Amino acid sequence: MSILKAKKTSHGSRIHGTKISNNSPIESIPTPNVVYISTSQHIGSPAIPIVKIGDKVKKGQLIASESGFVSANIYSSISGTVVNITDLINGMGQNQKYIVIENDNLNEEMILDPLPDKEPQTVINRIRIAGIVGLGGAGFPTAVKLSPKSSIDTLVVNGAECEPYLTCDYRLMIERTDDIYKGIKIVADALKVKHIVIGIEINKPLAIEAFSKFSDLDVVVLKKRYPMGSEKHLIYATTGRKVAPGKMPFDVSCCVQNIKTLLACYEAVELNKPLTENIITVSGKGITEPKNLKVPFGTPYSDLIDYCKGLTEDAVKIIAGGPMMGKCLINLNQYTRKTDCGILCLKPNEINADEPSNCINCGTCIKRCPMHLSPVYIESFSLSGDYVNAEKYGALNCIECGLCSYNCPAKRALVQSIQIAKTKIKEMKNNATK
Amino acid sequence: MPQNNTLIYSSSPHIRSKITTKKIMQDVCIALIPATIMGIVLFGLKALLLIFLSCFTAVASEIIFNLINKKTFIQCVKEFDYSSLVSGLLLGLTVGTNYPWYTVIFGSIFSIIVVKMLFGGTGKNLVNPAITGRIFIFISFQSVVGAWVLPNVNSIFTNNISTGATVIESLIKNGNKNLSSLDLLLGSRVPGCIGETCKLAIWAGAIYLAVKKIINITYPLIYIVVEGIFAVALKGFDFSYFLPSILSGGLIFGAFFMATDYTTSPDTKTANIIYFICLGLITAGLREATKMEATSFAILLMNLTVPLFDKFIINKPFGYQKQKKIKGGEKHE
Repeated sequence: MSILKAKKTSHGSRIHGTKISNNSPIESIPTPNVVYISTSQHIGSPAIPIVKIGDKVKKGQLIASESGFVSANIYSSISGTVVNITDLINGMGQNQKYIVIENDNLNEEMILDPLPDKEPQTVINRIRIAGIVGLGGAGFPTAVKLSPKSSIDTLVVNGAECEPYLTCDYRLMIERTDDIYKGIKIVADALKVKHIVIGIEINKPLAIEAFSKFSDLDVVVLKKRYPMGSEKHLIYATTGRKVAPGKMPFDVSCCVQNIKTLLACYEAVELNKPLTENIITVSGKGITEPKNLKVPFGTPYSDLIDYCKGLTEDAVKIIAGGPMMGKCLINLNQYTRKTDCGILCLKPNEINADEPSNCINCGTCIKRCPMHLSPVYIESFSLSGDYVNAEKYGALNCIECGLCSYNCPAKRALVQSIQIAKTKIKEMKNNATK
Repeated sequence: MPQNNTLIYSSSPHIRSKITTKKIMQDVCIALIPATIMGIVLFGLKALLLIFLSCFTAVASEIIFNLINKKTFIQCVKEFDYSSLVSGLLLGLTVGTNYPWYTVIFGSIFSIIVVKMLFGGTGKNLVNPAITGRIFIFISFQSVVGAWVLPNVNSIFTNNISTGATVIESLIKNGNKNLSSLDLLLGSRVPGCIGETCKLAIWAGAIYLAVKKIINITYPLIYIVVEGIFAVALKGFDFSYFLPSILSGGLIFGAFFMATDYTTSPDTKTANIIYFICLGLITAGLREATKMEATSFAILLMNLTVPLFDKFIINKPFGYQKQKKIKGGEKHE
């Protein structure tokens, strides 16, 4: 047991926005009447529905199975009847296949069979079957991450939660410390690593205290700086290792896992529960009562907002996820997914929206970029369609953290341009290989 | 609950910092207030008139340019970001009170219309508008304004420098070190430009900008120190030249307010350090070679090299060093 100060920090910056729901305990919402479960809640190919319209399903029953190596199983989050399997355009404007289940109020629950042993391969297989993906937002199947190509010597637990407003990880860290610890041990055993570090930002003293009681965990106190929760920067801050551009954490013998993912691993391995629910922060000044909620997958966002006593009159922006990397909603036809961390309802004075003006070449974006890129040049190449040069300036290394746009005094949409450049570069590369 | 059509949609990030171009320019204006006040105190009402004319003309020419470009007046007001006011103020502070009023107006129009607006407005100019305006006046109206800035009316210290040279010139030419460093610091008894003489006021403004994190104070300090050392070196390592050299002329004003101008300085840390060292060397060199105050010429020259700095000095992505090592490792495999 030791409490360490973060070794090194890369650029980054502080951002405004308080964690309003820091002190509200996690509450369970009443089971929704109808859930819309997307078959594409993770990176990779969508799961394939294995139920038919009219089928009776129990909570925890497999309703869509993985369709490849990078894919994940999906379980029913309530007991009820499948009323529809259809393509819907959700609040983010994506067209996805949804399985609609109507609640029958019987609350029947199914769990997985107990594990015969705790061998690493069995555990990893269970994590895969339980449909666990990176719950921090990326949605990368955890089982794939736990089967790295090279050996791992350090497990890094991501307790940074660097995005403002979001508090679900923080609440979990102080409310379910022991369960998370068991999850950490399960994953560490599966990876056969001895050295475990947990990075927690300095603004979460209770969480730091909670985890410092475990003798085999190194608690690393991180500076309050965005984007501390980014994999590469967390590894750098906790271990001092730098992940080279285009490389993955396993190239420096590290594996990063999110708090929620570890808790899900614990529930899947010890309690045999598949992944059916999520902890979501509903916050922002535009919501009447900010709360941390435990919700089944597929719950309509409007249910959550109603449970928090609704939006205030002047809420102007609804975001799925954090304010820096989340996605803006065009309407409330959005349903909770595995990768959701929060629903934010923001007022105009929180977003500081302004028309973009000329770049004044102040260099703030370059100074702040955690990947040490030059967003201003990538943006100008992207706007002029010169994607070859955009790639030369490292557009593909961008982690889309949003700090350049956040800090830009001219309010230019730098990240957006870089995202466009990234898409185009990938298209170009695909065409070249064809 | 708000209707769907009142929701704002945008790409991430959904929150923005409160810093805007307008606020930065306002802060620069605030930082220039001490120098302006001291200029008026030291040089009298003529100084106030020149500063006012310069600022007014600068703002008016920007608005008129925009009106000619078929923007509505409301648009012009909305888009007004104080940068032309900063240019006008800087120009007003870098002229002497012996300048006829119309020269300042011409200089102001030149710096806003030709140097800034014709290149595309705020952020698109290649060189610092105020400095170019000042040099424009100096070159175009040489017969009217005299050789260089004449001693001002309030200066008590006129017996030695009757030729109308600023301290820096007399320093270089005659090795005149009669002025105490304290005089130079306070600007009393020192002939020179309106805003450049009272170094204390400039320092106050610079510290304000540094505290507000608008400028990185290290860079101008590098400039000033390098200039001082190189000036000393050129005089055969006579260290008594160090303080007078850095405290006289427009060096400190130029270093804090002109050279740090965002648009006309490089972006990366490395490039900035090299840029400001070069500035120091060129300023000291030009001062020694031309026997006159050359800060503005040095900054103008270096402004033109900024695109080169920005093109050739680019930050390496995070973790770049590691990549090389791994590459080597792969070859072994």
